[in-house]
Amino acid sequence: MNLEAASERSRHALSSEQDSFEALFKAEYNRVAGIANRVLGDAQEAEDVAQEVFIDFHRLHSAKAQYAAAWLYRASAHTALNRVRGRRRREKREHAAAPDEAGQALDPQRIAEANEERRRLRTALARLPQKPAAVLVLRSSGLSYAEVAEAVGVSTGQIGTLLRRAESALRKEVNRESPE
Amino acid sequence: MFDDPNAVTGTEREHFASCGECQDRHAKTSADATDATRLLALPAATFDADAAYKRVTEAPSQAPRFGFRLPILRQSSRRPIAVLAFAVVLAVIATASANVAQIFAPTQVKPVPVTVADLQSLPDLSTYGTFAWSKEPQPQIGVTAANAEQVAGFSAPNAGTLPSTVSTNVTYVVVPQAVATFTFSAAKAQAAAAAQGKTLPPMPAGMDGSTLTLTVGPALIEVFGDLKQGSTSDVSQLELPQLIVAESKAPVVTSTGVSVTELEDYLLKQPGITPQLAADIKAIGDPTHTLPIPVPVGYATSSDVTVQGVQGVALGDNTGAGAAVVWIKGNVFFVGGSLKQSEILTIANQLR
Repeated sequence: MNLEAASERSRHALSSEQDSFEALFKAEYNRVAGIANRVLGDAQEAEDVAQEVFIDFHRLHSAKAQYAAAWLYRASAHTALNRVRGRRRREKREHAAAPDEAGQALDPQRIAEANEERRRLRTALARLPQKPAAVLVLRSSGLSYAEVAEAVGVSTGQIGTLLRRAESALRKEVNRESPE
Repeated sequence: MFDDPNAVTGTEREHFASCGECQDRHAKTSADATDATRLLALPAATFDADAAYKRVTEAPSQAPRFGFRLPILRQSSRRPIAVLAFAVVLAVIATASANVAQIFAPTQVKPVPVTVADLQSLPDLSTYGTFAWSKEPQPQIGVTAANAEQVAGFSAPNAGTLPSTVSTNVTYVVVPQAVATFTFSAAKAQAAAAAQGKTLPPMPAGMDGSTLTLTVGPALIEVFGDLKQGSTSDVSQLELPQLIVAESKAPVVTSTGVSVTELEDYLLKQPGITPQLAADIKAIGDPTHTLPIPVPVGYATSSDVTVQGVQGVALGDNTGAGAAVVWIKGNVFFVGGSLKQSEILTIANQLR
């Protein structure tokens, strides 16, 4: 073996990996960003999460890995949920000073209600354990039971039960957050 | 009944029709599901994957965890990276080879700061002669510890008690000894330089046609973590691990016709070697016994540490997300992973 051949093989491998990553990115980006958006309710922040998730994936894994999509979905849900948890802590500190998002809206009453419901959802999701929260988010983002199962690492047969429990837990958490 | 109503049998339906408890449970489950669906419903958002891909690939790559992060490589940076390994080998040779048949036998490690500019401007040293493996490195991945020890000829390092975050799954990799030769060719070097419109300094007398022989390994590597791999022959399928512990016989270099001073002077004068890099390599002091460890400036930090009673180089990136330590005590040892530097040092010191 000579160095030229080795270099050529390295270049080819890099190029092939980069091509695979580009194909993976373009095939899955919408879904990965959609999952984050489902949690965050903020398209721009969801895109930040999606890009962060893809960069993390590229850093650590081959784009040709069979588990690529499942990894990305799970990472998107977890990263977005972690952001909400961080945001919750921040919001608690800043609550008194920060103006509500609805403050600049054209229909303050309606937008304020929608924002309040979103806030309650995010808070409730953030309080759920990671796995049920991820199951809820992934399923509501349109993933099949099989896809959700692969992403969270359980059998497909368990998803129905996990989902029911997660829905029940979410409802309890949302009600806990609701004004009396 | 809820997930797949079509799968419900007639008997189950009959039971459901007459069981108040099941009906209540179903009603509650339906209400929970409806609520969750309503809460999680969002207006459809559209994302532009092409634009996002462009943003991601054009953004400056993040600071890499040393040795564990693969930054997205832009086309222009690939060639220098591809030749980096060889360039480092030659940098070692340049600082280590001495008179005819002088053996390079490093007994200590020292960091050499390397900038991105250094990497991008490195000359393609494969054009300076002919490189060939007389014994190619042939890694064997996923062998048993006993097999790895048999091939390596030494015991697998025992990492002792590890932090709870590190998986106890260990994959053994063994690389038998490999031997490579590099034969200098003045004509080839000048022709390659001329093709790029450059002129090289003349090779010192006796260098043209002389051969360097590099012997590396055997090496035994323990990879801690849950490896996912498509096949044992495709390294790109491996998920990078939490911890790597490696031990290797120190590399040995022999030279047939050029002194260390001539070689070092010649290679460090090549176009593309920055004065700073040349100065840093020259500053090593005892090149015959020193293994230079390239440290990417701005991406990783290095510090001198005492490991197992000898001097070692600790590497860590600026985010604290990963760390490594390299030292020589008879053999060359490496411990690195996505752990704190203190944890890496503890593991390194308890290695048996």
